[in-house]
Amino acid sequence: MINSVILSYITFVYFASFMLYLLMMVMGKEVFGRLASILTVGALIAHTFAIILRWIESYRFDMGHAPLSNFYESLIFFAWALVLLYVLIEWRTKNRSIGTFASLLAVLIMAYASFGSVDSRIQPLVPVLKSNWLITHVITSFIGYAALGIAFCLSLTYLIKKIDNPKRKSFFLKAIPNLDILDELSYQMIIIGFVLLTLCIITGSVWAHSAWGRYWGWDPKETWSLITWLVYAIVLHSRMMRGWRGTKMAILSIIGFFCVIFTYLGVNFILSGLHSYAT
Amino acid sequence: MIKPNNKKGANSMWNMFSSMKLTLALLIILAVTSIFGTLIPQQQEAIRFAQGLSPGQLRFFELLGLFDLYHSLWFRAIIGLLALNLIICSVNRLPTTLKLFQSPPRPDRSKPFEDLPPERSFLVEEGVKDAGNRVADFLRKQYRQIAIKSTPEMNYLYAERGRYSYFGVYLVHFSVLLILLGGIIGSLFGFNAYVNILEGDTVDSIVIRKDMTSMKLGFSVLCEKFSVEYYDNGSPKEFRSELGFFIDGKLAQKSSLLMNQPVTFRGITFYQSSYGSIPGKVLLGIQKEGSDLGESIIKVETGETFSLPGSESQIQVVDAVSNLNEVMGPAALISVKPKEGEEMRFWVFQDIERLRKQYPEAMLQAPRMNPSSFKPFTFFLKELENRSYTGLQANKDPGVSLVWLGCFVMVAGFFLTFFTSHRKIWVRISKSKDETKISVAGRTNRNPLALEKELDSVTGQLRKLVDREGKKI
Repeated sequence: MINSVILSYITFVYFASFMLYLLMMVMGKEVFGRLASILTVGALIAHTFAIILRWIESYRFDMGHAPLSNFYESLIFFAWALVLLYVLIEWRTKNRSIGTFASLLAVLIMAYASFGSVDSRIQPLVPVLKSNWLITHVITSFIGYAALGIAFCLSLTYLIKKIDNPKRKSFFLKAIPNLDILDELSYQMIIIGFVLLTLCIITGSVWAHSAWGRYWGWDPKETWSLITWLVYAIVLHSRMMRGWRGTKMAILSIIGFFCVIFTYLGVNFILSGLHSYAT
Repeated sequence: MIKPNNKKGANSMWNMFSSMKLTLALLIILAVTSIFGTLIPQQQEAIRFAQGLSPGQLRFFELLGLFDLYHSLWFRAIIGLLALNLIICSVNRLPTTLKLFQSPPRPDRSKPFEDLPPERSFLVEEGVKDAGNRVADFLRKQYRQIAIKSTPEMNYLYAERGRYSYFGVYLVHFSVLLILLGGIIGSLFGFNAYVNILEGDTVDSIVIRKDMTSMKLGFSVLCEKFSVEYYDNGSPKEFRSELGFFIDGKLAQKSSLLMNQPVTFRGITFYQSSYGSIPGKVLLGIQKEGSDLGESIIKVETGETFSLPGSESQIQVVDAVSNLNEVMGPAALISVKPKEGEEMRFWVFQDIERLRKQYPEAMLQAPRMNPSSFKPFTFFLKELENRSYTGLQANKDPGVSLVWLGCFVMVAGFFLTFFTSHRKIWVRISKSKDETKISVAGRTNRNPLALEKELDSVTGQLRKLVDREGKKI
C-alpha cells in the first residue's frame, strides 16, 4: 500500500531533520536549524497527506474508516501529533532547541511503526470499534500524549541547560532559551496534555459504557490511564499549591511521560486486557 | 483543662486533613496501589495465580484483598480519605476565595503602577476630563464592569474580567465528588447481570454476576434471531440480536441489539456481549444388519429416550458435541439399554469417512468408538443441528447520569482553572505639565503572559483611539 511506503520514507526525512537539529546545536550554526525546520515542515505535510491517503484507501477496500483503528495507525498518528505540536511551538517561540529531542522521538515512533512485527495493513473494524467515539477517543488520547511528550522534551532540555555555567562556551547550551521559559512552556504543555488525557478517559468511559455496559472496569489500560492522570494531578498540585518549579517539575514531568509510554505500550505488551485490538 | 485540649486535637485533625501534603501523599498512594492491581491478576484471572501460592502467601493475599484490590475495603478507604481531604481543603479555602470574588473594585490603587515599563504610558494633548471620558467609553465597550474615581487633577479607571475563574478549582473538586457519588449509587442500587438466550427462546430472568443469583425481570425477552456478519477476510463485522420484549405475553417492543448500540427496556439496559451455540436436534440413521428394510432415520433431542425400531431396547442420545476433542467433528454419545444385559455407550461420528482415513482402524473398532457396537445395529450421525444463542449483558446503573454530569463539570472546571484568569486593569490619567499622561497597569491571579498581551493591546488601542481623533501624542 502506497501510504505505508510514503510513511517509511518520511521516517528517513525526520531522521535527517534530527541530524540537522543536532548539527545546529553542536556546530552552533543557525543555517542547519533553518534547513531542519524546512525538512520537518515538508515531512509533516507529506505525513498528513499519507494519513489522508490511507483513509481514502480504506474506502477502496470497502471498509472505510478513519486511520485510527490499530496499533500501526496509532503510532503514525502519535508521531504526526508530536511533530505538529513541535512545529507550532517552534513557530510561536522562534526557538529550535527542543527540535533535537522532538524529532528523535518522532523518528523512534515512526521506526517502530515500520518494524515487521507491527502490522501495517488496513484492517476492517471489528464490531466493538464501530462507534462514533472511536475518533474522539483516539484523537484526544494521542494529541494529549503528544503534548506530554513535548513537555518531556522540554524537561530534558531544562535538565541539560541546568548544567550550563557562564564559563562553558558551548553553543549547544547557549541556544537553549532560559530556564524560566522552558519551565513555563513545559507547564503549559502539561496542562494541555492533562486536559486532553481527561477528555480521553471520559470519552473512553462513555464508549465503554455503550459497548460493555460499564464506564469503568479497572481494566489494565483504564487503570494505567488513571495512574498517569494521578501522576499529572500530583504535578499540577505541587506546582499550583506548593510552588514547585524547575528541576523538581522537570523530573516529575519525565516520570509522568514514562507512565504515558507504559499506558500506551507497556499495557499492550506486558499486561493483557480489553485493548488488545490496539496491538 | 480538657476542653482546650480537645479543641486543639480537633484543630490538628482539621489541619491535617486540609493539608496539601496529605493530598499529595494520598494521590501517590492511590497511584502506587493501583499499579499493584495491574500486576496481580484480579478476580477471575486470580484463580490460576492463586493455585501457585503457598498457603501462607494465599492467606496474606486474601487478608489484604489483593485478588480484588480495587474493591477491597482499604482501597476504598484511601479514596474516601482523598474525598474527605478534598472537601476539607475546599471548605478551608472557600472564605478566602469568596473574599477575593467579592472584593470591591479599587480604582485608585497606586501599587500596580510601580515599576511600570515606559511603553505602558503615553501623552495626549486634551485635558484630563476629556481623555478620561474617552477612555471610560472605550473600557465600557470592552469590559462588563468598570469603576471610576475622578479628581480634577487625576482620573482613575478600573476594569476587570474573569472573577469567576476563582471557582474553577472548586468545580473540578466538586466534579470528582459527583463522579465518586455516581459510582457509589451505581454499586448500591444498580446491578450487573447476564443472560444467554437461545434463538427462538424466551427468558424472564437474568443472573446477577456478583452472587450468581437469578433475578426476575418482570417481563420476558425473546431472541428471535442471532446473526454474525463477516468481512471478506473472515473477521467479524457485526453481531446482531433481534429481540422482542413481552409484558404479560404481549409484545411491547421489538429491537435490534448491536454492539455499541444497547437497548433499554423498563430501566434495564441490554448489551450484546457474547454468543455461541449448543447442539440441538440429532438426526440419527439406524441400519439393521441382514434386514432389507434399509436405513431408518430418527430425529431426537439430546436426552430424549426412544425405543429402537425392530427391537425392545431403549436408546438415548446422552450428549452431542459439535467438535469432539477439537478435531473429530460432530459427534453424538449414544446409550443403548437392551431389555436384558448391560447398558452400553458409544460415540457416533458424522465425519466417519474422514476419521477412517485419519485414525488407525483399531481405534475406531474400540467399543466406545464403534457405531456397530450394538449388534446387529449400526448407527450413523446424519446431522447435528446447532442452536445459536446470544449472550447479553443486562445492567441497571442509576448512578451513571451523575457520573456524566461530573465529567461535564470537570471539563468546565478545567476550562475555568486553566484557560481563564481574573485580570484587573487600571488606567490612570494625570496632568503632566501642560499635557495629559495616560498609564495602563494590570494584575492577574495567574497566567501573567496573557495579562501582558492584554495590556499591550489595551495600550495600543487607546493610543490609536486618540490618534484617530486627530490629537497629537
